[in-house]
Amino acid sequence: MMLEHILVLSAYLFSIGIYGLITSRNMVRALMYLELILNAVNINFVTFSDFFDSWQLKGNIFSIFVIAIAATEAAIGSAIVSSIYCNRKSTRINQSTLLNK
Amino acid sequence: MVLLTNPIYSALSLGLVLVCISLFYILSNSHFVAAAQLFIYVGAINVLILFAVMFMNGSEYYKDFNLWTIGNGLTSLVCTSILVSLITTILDTSWYRIIWTTRSNQIIEQDLLSNSQQIGIHLAIDFFLPFEFISIILLVALIGAIVVDRQ
Repeated sequence: MMLEHILVLSAYLFSIGIYGLITSRNMVRALMYLELILNAVNINFVTFSDFFDSWQLKGNIFSIFVIAIAATEAAIGSAIVSSIYCNRKSTRINQSTLLNK
Repeated sequence: MVLLTNPIYSALSLGLVLVCISLFYILSNSHFVAAAQLFIYVGAINVLILFAVMFMNGSEYYKDFNLWTIGNGLTSLVCTSILVSLITTILDTSWYRIIWTTRSNQIIEQDLLSNSQQIGIHLAIDFFLPFEFISIILLVALIGAIVVDRQ
């Protein structure tokens, strides 16, 4: 009963994250929705490792790795967004055809 | 979070979501991951995202009117279909049969250890190689972010 509730919450956060990632016109908002997706996946991992694997905790350890990788890509993503903003003064995704000039 | 127009409000609501997810981890008897989430996600990544939001020019966001285009509607349809299929899959799986068939090889000493000690044991013995690779990746990412930001 408890397992299914948390899995439903994780699926809900995941679908909100996918919707926001596809329909965001702003690169920083896309980064935020990507963090939401990774957190939803982490909830799944930790819940399964609590219910099925209390003695070796493989899901917990993998979720720590996912948190570390998410920190890495947030840092690199914000560095890339900052340099794009310095070059072009605008971060709207649908204006990226300006590279053709 | 999707419906807020100001990106600073959106970033603060992301922080609130991350804190609430950390409370779910405490509920799942994994206190180390809860503390790691609170420190790393809320304390570092959310602050980084707030820096990135505030670094951008704030005046161009109020022209970002929330048009409900055809792409938005199609994406919402696809996302609700993904959500409905996931929920039906979750509710149709008999979880208690799986728990009953995997209840085996219980190590007696591990019940007396706390969760962070168990994770420490498994990280140092079973998963030592991914641990070293993650630290190398973090080092490389740090150097890369500094190099990108120098121009």
